[in-house]
Amino acid sequence: MSTSTMFSMLVSSYGTSLEIFALTLLGAIPLGVLIVLGRLSRFRPLSLLMQLLISVMRGTPLMLQMFAVFFVPFYVFGIQTGTDYMFTAVIIAFVINYAAYFAEIYRSGIQSMPQGQYEAALVLGYSHAQTFFRIILPQVVKRILPAMGNEVITLVKDTSLAFSIGIIEMFTQSRALVASQRNMIPFALAAAIYWVTCLVIEFALRRAEKKLDYYHD
Amino acid sequence: MTSTRAVSVTRARKSFDSREVLHDVSFGIDRGEVVSLIGPSGAGKSTLLRCLTLLDTFDEGSLSYGDLEVTSRGEDGRAVYDKEAMRQARMRFGIVFQNYNLFPHFTVMRNVCDAPVVVQHRDKAEVEAEARVLLDRIGLSDHADKVPCQLSGGQQQRVAICRALAMKPDVIYFDEATSALDPKLTDDMHRIIRELASDGMAVGIVTHEMGFARDASDRICFLFDGQIVEDGPANQVINDPVDPRTRAFLSSPED
Repeated sequence: MSTSTMFSMLVSSYGTSLEIFALTLLGAIPLGVLIVLGRLSRFRPLSLLMQLLISVMRGTPLMLQMFAVFFVPFYVFGIQTGTDYMFTAVIIAFVINYAAYFAEIYRSGIQSMPQGQYEAALVLGYSHAQTFFRIILPQVVKRILPAMGNEVITLVKDTSLAFSIGIIEMFTQSRALVASQRNMIPFALAAAIYWVTCLVIEFALRRAEKKLDYYHD
Repeated sequence: MTSTRAVSVTRARKSFDSREVLHDVSFGIDRGEVVSLIGPSGAGKSTLLRCLTLLDTFDEGSLSYGDLEVTSRGEDGRAVYDKEAMRQARMRFGIVFQNYNLFPHFTVMRNVCDAPVVVQHRDKAEVEAEARVLLDRIGLSDHADKVPCQLSGGQQQRVAICRALAMKPDVIYFDEATSALDPKLTDDMHRIIRELASDGMAVGIVTHEMGFARDASDRICFLFDGQIVEDGPANQVINDPVDPRTRAFLSSPED
């Protein structure tokens, strides 16, 4: 098998990796907002529940969480799940796991906001929701962008964990090729593709940071 | 007298834990009047201002803005705040914070216009036209599209004044109005405050600077240890105070 054939096989499975990546971000970014709002809520039981969720999500391996999401419907509820549930389970586990990390990053940003911003908004009559979405959140975005970049780049490589549950993403494919072709080149190619993906993300992050550079506080 | 009162506090008390920081304070500002609140650090000036601006609440006593009663007397004698009245009261006063607290991610124009449009649901074009007049009056018309970090401290303070005025309040408070200003800007601030008063605004100033308090205000209240111990015409309080505590404070170089 030629290198270009191997490359095109990797690229076609790369679509699945990207899908996991994009769906995770799409779900985890807003879910993280909900988790941090619960975490910072003055309603103590909700705050404690979110602390527990964050602690468990950060304190157990993502791979194990994937298996849990995958097997729970069958072993706990006796529901037969088809093979297409495999992918759904991966996405659910990734979204919740990443949302927990994002929530903590959001919290660091929210808590770094000066009290005066809340007071100015309160005196001007903004509601809690208006204060959060108009005044606080846009400033928090700028503050947390570097930390979020870190997580997003980690996520690119974490998509390879889906291999363990049997999803054919790029890492799964590269292993299969290495075994069948007795050749290390698929690994090198996969590494290059991951890296280039991260370069693109780094570039996008730099653009975003530049765009928010119009003010400082 | 009461009909011209823009803000009125009667027999207010406030404690933090078991320490009472305001004892039986009565205070008010008439429309068109400039009142300075002076006193040593820890006298309760900031607490009084925070309670006036509803960032904190009195334990006892009553607070009203014009004909709007913000508090009522509860059965146990404590002040009970009405949520809706608080919301309405916030439309009747504005404050220029000591460090301005402008929204750094908004342009000057948006700092001034956002709340009137979003909170008061006023027409955006109309609010912006009014904001231009305000900014022009205060010498900031060239800076409308800048963000606060591009402005000097004095300019930021004037944006904060415009932001407060755009809400069309009856009362405007200044927290340490001149602490960060040079003599020229202090002079400008003096002029701005007098103009506001002549337009019928009630102006409340918390300050450490006796000279500014004397020159800019009609009346001065001296707060000492949680009580207003002197309340009179500006010149009299500064030059010829009656209370020995005021005399001691004014003759000492500290603060």
